[in-house]
Amino acid sequence: MTEAPRIETERLVLRAQRREDFEPYAAFFASERSHLAGGPLDATWSWYAFAAGVGHWALLGFGGLTIEDRATGAPLGQIGFNKLPHSPEPELAWLVFAEAEGKGVAYEAARAARDFAFGTLGWTTAVSYMSPDNVRSKALVQRLGAIYDPFAESIHEERIVFRHPASLGRR
Amino acid sequence: MTDAPTLTTARLTLRAHRLSDFAPFAAFLASDAARYVGGPLDERRAWHGFASDVGSWSLLNFGCWAVEESASRAFVGQVGLTRPAYFPEREIGWIVFPAFQRRGFALEAAQAARDFAFGALAWTTAVSYIDRDNAASIALARKLGAAEDPKAARWDDVDVGHRHPAPGGSA
Repeated sequence: MTEAPRIETERLVLRAQRREDFEPYAAFFASERSHLAGGPLDATWSWYAFAAGVGHWALLGFGGLTIEDRATGAPLGQIGFNKLPHSPEPELAWLVFAEAEGKGVAYEAARAARDFAFGTLGWTTAVSYMSPDNVRSKALVQRLGAIYDPFAESIHEERIVFRHPASLGRR
Repeated sequence: MTDAPTLTTARLTLRAHRLSDFAPFAAFLASDAARYVGGPLDERRAWHGFASDVGSWSLLNFGCWAVEESASRAFVGQVGLTRPAYFPEREIGWIVFPAFQRRGFALEAAQAARDFAFGALAWTTAVSYIDRDNAASIALARKLGAAEDPKAARWDDVDVGHRHPAPGGSA
């Protein structure tokens, strides 16, 4: 079985999810804010999504990580390395709770996660799916160097696909 | 990080789930035979249930096992100790695929899981949530010594809690 890694950046730690991370995660997915991230989710689905991300490490060798504030230990959001049976290719996903928005947390976490995917995990490509209405995520993914890929198969008709160039993660 | 420990009974091996278990598990959940466990379920929902039952081990220190017939190595079903956030309390659950039913596998696997819960995990009580129309599963709960507990908090409108007698005491 593969253990979730601990990845440190300047201000953040990406680490294994813990049970107590569930309540802020569920609160995010119960809120209207989550509609661009596939929410709102009911109680059953928010547990499914949260706990499945943990099980993915054992089943797939990659999965979910909690984004933690390195200074305070507070959970700020989540990173997902995903390749589900029903999805076309490996995906890098992120979400940041309301209180952590606007501080560059998602960028810092997603960049470290991308480097981990192309480095340690040995991925040769990765995509991120997002709503075309998600202005912030679209800006972030392009700042990461990803490119809109109109030819890629999406997981959902309401999600567009950005592709991360593998060369960016190998430095 | 906790992984499911391997347990053996007279005829069965309870082991950690592997990715290759998913296809037969999803096939069961997609069928009418899954009607008492919330099915038929599509692949996306089946994956999240499957992976979250694996992730449960890391999050809660208990979770689900794949049940294998030791002699043939056939994957015959799943048994689990679960408490997703939407369950009022901890549960012992079991699934045996139709081709392997009527051989006492569910009883044998559920006994091993219950003994692990009350032994190694030192649980003092547990319920099994069973669809009120699932006569076979209700009969199995009775064989295990469990009895319907009208006071057990419910998690949905269909399942009723059957309480397992605590080790060395009354229910």
